[in-house]
Amino acid sequence: MNAFSRQTKSWMALGGVVAVAAIALFGTLPTLGADAGSAAHSAQEVVHGAVGHGGADHGHAAVSVFSLKQIAHSYLTAYMFCLSLCVGSLFLTLVHHLFDAGWSASIRRVTETVASLLFPWMLILALPILGFAWTGNLHAWFKINPADDHSLDVKKVLFNPMAFTVLVPVLITVLGLLARQIRAWSIAQDKDGAAHWTSKSRKLSAGGIFIFAFGVTLLCFLLMKSLQHQFFSTMYGVYFFAGSVWTTLITLYLLTMWLAQPGRPLEKVYFKRQQQDLAVLFFAFTVFYAYIHFSQYFLIWNAALPEETFWYVRREVGSWKWVGMLILFGHFFVPFLLLLNQDIKRNMSVMIPVGAWAWLMQYVDMTYNVMPVLHPEGLHLTLWDPIFWMGMSVLLGRLFWSEYQKNPPYPLKDPRLQEAIVHHEVPAPGASAAH
Amino acid sequence: MNSNRSKPHGLLAEFHTAADIFEAAMRCRDAGFTQWDVYTPFPIHGMDEAMGLRKSPVGWFTFCGGFTGFFTGMTMIWYMNKFDYPLVVGGKPLFTPLYAFPVSYEMTILLSAFGTLFGMFFLNQLPKFYNPLFKNERFKKSTDDRFFLCIEATDPKFGMDVTRTFLTEKCHAAVVELVED
Repeated sequence: MNAFSRQTKSWMALGGVVAVAAIALFGTLPTLGADAGSAAHSAQEVVHGAVGHGGADHGHAAVSVFSLKQIAHSYLTAYMFCLSLCVGSLFLTLVHHLFDAGWSASIRRVTETVASLLFPWMLILALPILGFAWTGNLHAWFKINPADDHSLDVKKVLFNPMAFTVLVPVLITVLGLLARQIRAWSIAQDKDGAAHWTSKSRKLSAGGIFIFAFGVTLLCFLLMKSLQHQFFSTMYGVYFFAGSVWTTLITLYLLTMWLAQPGRPLEKVYFKRQQQDLAVLFFAFTVFYAYIHFSQYFLIWNAALPEETFWYVRREVGSWKWVGMLILFGHFFVPFLLLLNQDIKRNMSVMIPVGAWAWLMQYVDMTYNVMPVLHPEGLHLTLWDPIFWMGMSVLLGRLFWSEYQKNPPYPLKDPRLQEAIVHHEVPAPGASAAH
Repeated sequence: MNSNRSKPHGLLAEFHTAADIFEAAMRCRDAGFTQWDVYTPFPIHGMDEAMGLRKSPVGWFTFCGGFTGFFTGMTMIWYMNKFDYPLVVGGKPLFTPLYAFPVSYEMTILLSAFGTLFGMFFLNQLPKFYNPLFKNERFKKSTDDRFFLCIEATDPKFGMDVTRTFLTEKCHAAVVELVED
């Protein structure tokens, strides 16, 4: 009954998000025609602006807070943030099986459950994005004739409304079903403890990691990168992936720490080792993210080709330059230097603020990718940003919690669980005298 | 040489299982010995805590190496490209941390590795060409299936008879005496 009421609340929260989107959609219908026209116009401006001077498009100069464009872009930013947590969790689940890992067996149910939110929840939450795109409020190329835009013409195989409408839901569904299948086998193992469930998961993960790599790359190309369809970057998929796993690891760190407190479900299976390893991985991905993002920037800077540089030139206009600096220092230097010390990685009075900071940085990073399209003059936050960001996170958090409680909190009969929970608590000085 | 022969190096205790030496290490730690070490065929989890070892200070050598490397890279490129022989390449600025970064980053890694390796050698007092332990035939089994614990005579708490009793009675080990040579 308790689970039922939780489920109801989740549905209500989801209904709320969809209702907000729907009201916004219908409230601004009369202006749609005008918006679509200006979108096509401004997209052409981008092309000219890229070759000319930094892309000053006047079509977007004044975006009303209540315009559908603002809502669409804020919604997409929040969605990309939540998507990054889901794909990050899916990656950690797949990697656990691929490496036949022991230490992460006790926390795997958490990543399995977060990844399973992809289907159906992230799919449902993606539907408004399709609506925004079709009404010409998100991706400019929905309303551009490829014949008029060479940079779109060469990419129209992927960047066309039908491909978008089919691929986005299909990719989310495929990734979601992959996550659900592995979780289903894991739960089946809770009952009989048979080892063949583990080897089945490992085999699926071997193929799944390729599906994951292509799926996540395509998804972030379609949803985020194609907002400026003229852009080229082969690093973009890895860039999104690196930030995703980074955010997921610190989230997982804090979540499992909380779940391991006395009286909570992971109390007896979570030790210093899991905590330390998650923090070390988070540290590694701090470096990996910086490496990838710097590489993307550096290659574009070095080659200095206008069809690539316009993307960063735009992000050096007005306050976007300082947002870029915030990402450089906040996403990399601060956590990097802070976490160099081994003991800090287990110091909760440092790690909790670091976790909150990492969430903020990932959101800033998504904003940096999405919003300069809408607000070329500089960072422009509206009420929609925290509403969608927090609303979607809280909604998915509740869905996670109700799903998580339906099953055992960790893989009860996983053959590797013993490796995760064999711990070496050494008695402090003086204790051996009691022997 | 004759006077050396009688000078004790320490006591070597032999154990058959990892659990036994783990227990003995905790007893040695609690007894307050400082000049002692364990020798095992494979790493034993938790042995650092059992021996009461502090966190290794090697990390500081690594950090200093990395820090030096990063700023050496930056300064070197600034000096060469902007100060000593200004040269425009590809229309890029004479100096920017951007293109100096890959080299500085590699220098960071290189000197961090040097700092780690040589810092470890320095702290371990390596290389050391001779150790009285090598004279003991049984000690060769420490790379096979035996576990050894050696308390050295330089330990302030060391006493030949007291320590021998401690190792045999409390730690249940077979004990032999080692001499300097």
